[in-house]
Amino acid sequence: MPTRDLTRSRWWMPGFSLFLGAIMLVAFTIGDNVGQGLISLGIMAVLAAIFAFGRRSETLQGIGGPGRDERWAMIDLRASALAGFVLITVVIGAWLYEIANGEDGEPYTQLGAVAGVAYVIALAVGRARG
Amino acid sequence: MLLKNEVRNLRTAGGLSQQQLAEAMDVSRQTINSIEKERYTPSLPLAIALARYFNTTVEEVFHADT
Repeated sequence: MPTRDLTRSRWWMPGFSLFLGAIMLVAFTIGDNVGQGLISLGIMAVLAAIFAFGRRSETLQGIGGPGRDERWAMIDLRASALAGFVLITVVIGAWLYEIANGEDGEPYTQLGAVAGVAYVIALAVGRARG
Repeated sequence: MLLKNEVRNLRTAGGLSQQQLAEAMDVSRQTINSIEKERYTPSLPLAIALARYFNTTVEEVFHADT
C-alpha cells in the first residue's frame, strides 16, 4: 500500500530558488538598480547550490524535496504554523506600537486583516473538505 | 498521542536495516528511526502498510497499553 507521495524532484527547490533570483533581478532592473539585482541573483544561486548539493542534511533534503514524506509534511505544517504565529504576533505588535505613537497603523492594519481573513477562509475550506 | 510499537523488533527479526524498511515503505530512513524511537506516530496508511509488510495486524505492531 503506497503512502501519500510527497517527494519532489531534487531539482525543484534549486530551480525555484534560481527562478526567484531571476524575478528579483528583473524587479531591481525595472527599479533601475541592476547591481542590487545581480547581488540578489547571486545570493539565490548560492542558495540553489546548497539545496542541490546539501544531500547529507535531512533538513535541507526536507526543504528541498527528496527527503519529504508524511513525517516531513507534519514537520512542515508545524513549522509553517509557528512561522505564521510569529509573523502575526510581530504584525500586531508593530500595529499597536504605531497607533500608540499617534500613527494610523498602516500598513500593519491591512496585513493583520489579510492574515485574519486568510485564516478564516482556510478554516472554512478545511472544514468543507473534510 | 504517541503509541508504543514493535517496529524495531519486527525489523531486526526480519534482518532488515532501517534503510531497507524505509525504501519498502517509501519513506525516509529518519522516519523509520523516529517511529522506532516512538517520537513519531505514523499515519494510518503507513501503519497498515507496516503491518502488512510484517504479515501481522496494526494492533500487533502499535499499542497504547504496554
